[in-house]
Amino acid sequence: MSTNQRTDWARRQPPTGGSNFELYAWFFMRVSGLFLVLLATGHMFIMHVFNDTLNLDYEFVAARWDTPYWRTFDWLLLALSLLHGTNGLRIVLHDNISNQNLRKISLSVLYFVSVMFFILGTYVLIAFVSEV
Amino acid sequence: MLNQKIVSSGSVYKGRTGMWLYIFHRVTGVALFGYLLLHIISTALILLGPEVYEGAEAIYKNFYFRLGEVGLMAAVLAHAINGLRIITVDLWSRGSEYQKRLNFVSLLIFISVFIPTTYKMISSYFELCIEKSSPGTTVIDCMTRPLPDWKSK
Repeated sequence: MSTNQRTDWARRQPPTGGSNFELYAWFFMRVSGLFLVLLATGHMFIMHVFNDTLNLDYEFVAARWDTPYWRTFDWLLLALSLLHGTNGLRIVLHDNISNQNLRKISLSVLYFVSVMFFILGTYVLIAFVSEV
Repeated sequence: MLNQKIVSSGSVYKGRTGMWLYIFHRVTGVALFGYLLLHIISTALILLGPEVYEGAEAIYKNFYFRLGEVGLMAAVLAHAINGLRIITVDLWSRGSEYQKRLNFVSLLIFISVFIPTTYKMISSYFELCIEKSSPGTTVIDCMTRPLPDWKSK
């Protein structure tokens, strides 16, 4: 009886109870996305259009990170892109892995990798002292 | 409206442009996340000093990676513009009414930004390559050879 198994979306009631986490996650993707349009495309234009990556060297980065302004810009970009990407990949993994154990393992790996890269990136932005 | 039936036949999304954009958004999103991790590692090498950092950066300085950078730019721009389209459909009360027009406008915005940036990235590559390489270097040389280490000269 495949017809009875169809979901009648017009009569479907929203689930009651539970947490609002998914709602906030959905909203976060919109807000962080708006910021990333400015931060990420801004970063791409600065590095690839207004400058050329062929000229990218140690001194270029050292001069950039000489000001707290650019360190803040880069840290915001790091934090928002990692969070936005991790939440996006969380949804992709949730949608495409049906095996419960495999899903738990892959999500754990994702969260671990994201936290490690966030710590690494933040450490680099704070600890960098120019040698030239 | 009372008898309006919206039924799903199972696992299939409603199809057409919207479905392909949904898949496209996921594919570019996963690809960008992968590149983000690579980029964090290669930038973190800067703590190990100028030699290590510029050694890593030298891997990027050839024409094949320039094409890769153009692809990266395409992925960032497409994901950003399609994301703005999704936000518009979600949060504008009449967004779904204009969704087909929004698809078309997004494509126009993408093309009008992507073509000039690609032109700049490619032409700038050859200009810098010919300017900084030894005399007699041709465009073909710039495409097939990795760039010499300009700093040591």
